[in-house]
Amino acid sequence: MAVELTNVAPAMPACWRKETKTHKFCPGCGHGIVLKALGEAIDELGIQDKVIFTVDIGCCLLAIDFFNVDTVQTHHGRTNAVCTGIKRATPDKICIAYMGDGGGYAIGSQHLVNAAARNERITSILVNNTNYGMTGGQMAPTTLPGQKTETSPYGRSVEQQGQPTHGPEMIAAMAAEGAYVARGTVAKPKVLKKYFKKALEAQMNGSGFSFVEALSTCPTNWATNAKKTWAFLEGPMAEEYPTGEFKVPGEGGKAE
Amino acid sequence: MKEFKSIVNESGKGKFYLFTELCKGCGLCIEKCPKHDIGWTDRLGIYGAPTVESGRGEEGCIACKTCQNICPECAILIEKIQ
Repeated sequence: MAVELTNVAPAMPACWRKETKTHKFCPGCGHGIVLKALGEAIDELGIQDKVIFTVDIGCCLLAIDFFNVDTVQTHHGRTNAVCTGIKRATPDKICIAYMGDGGGYAIGSQHLVNAAARNERITSILVNNTNYGMTGGQMAPTTLPGQKTETSPYGRSVEQQGQPTHGPEMIAAMAAEGAYVARGTVAKPKVLKKYFKKALEAQMNGSGFSFVEALSTCPTNWATNAKKTWAFLEGPMAEEYPTGEFKVPGEGGKAE
Repeated sequence: MKEFKSIVNESGKGKFYLFTELCKGCGLCIEKCPKHDIGWTDRLGIYGAPTVESGRGEEGCIACKTCQNICPECAILIEKIQ
């Protein structure tokens, strides 16, 4: 008893660009949930006309036509640097740097760390899916110990490749007072949206650098079905990477 | 403004709108539904993968909107039946 309807609009955030939907990410990719939470945060703060969105190279590059906001695509890992330049040239704009774990923790770690050290008034969003998605699932700094990827077929060895990078803990340890640092997960999109709103508010108040890491899914490269995707995200990944707020302006803050 | 066509079916307390032009058939909603009320259909979505509909569980939809929130494509819209 199916009925075709055209008068009902999908529950998309108002700042999404409808002409480019459905978006280019793989089925089951967590980027869609992260960008939906970010879009809802932008809508609720009413800042769509002030946002400048910078995307890195990698899967996050596919978000270049995602929002109805000004978007810049940068060199690999230089998202925070370009975002900083735009923010310094136009301080009344709200600048968001969007990157993956490869762009933020591997090739772009110096820019992320130094942007945090200088306490730049930008919002940095990093999507962590424990591998390099676009190039075929190679081992990334965030790959879990023992996790099999394209370039670690016997599982990541802690002895040879070291421990996974814990970004928010690192940024929270070095960022100045007034910075906002948190880690959310796409399994809890409402909490993730709350973190994005607080991060954008920290930038709007001018209190300091704001950084949110989002734990995300990659069914294509994990080679998992929907059930195993949730099981990996909510099991081993959540154990390795605790979610919560690590630094909040005006108070200490710690993982939940 | 681009318009999307949807297919609607009712189950329990919720009307389940599915936008076939948006659904890629990832199945994340099926696993997240607390009442196991969502299942596959024969209708194909944008990537030629099966789409989903509600009404497979014993208790029916409770209109909690977990599937709507978790869908990466915004392909699901839940309307609570008053």
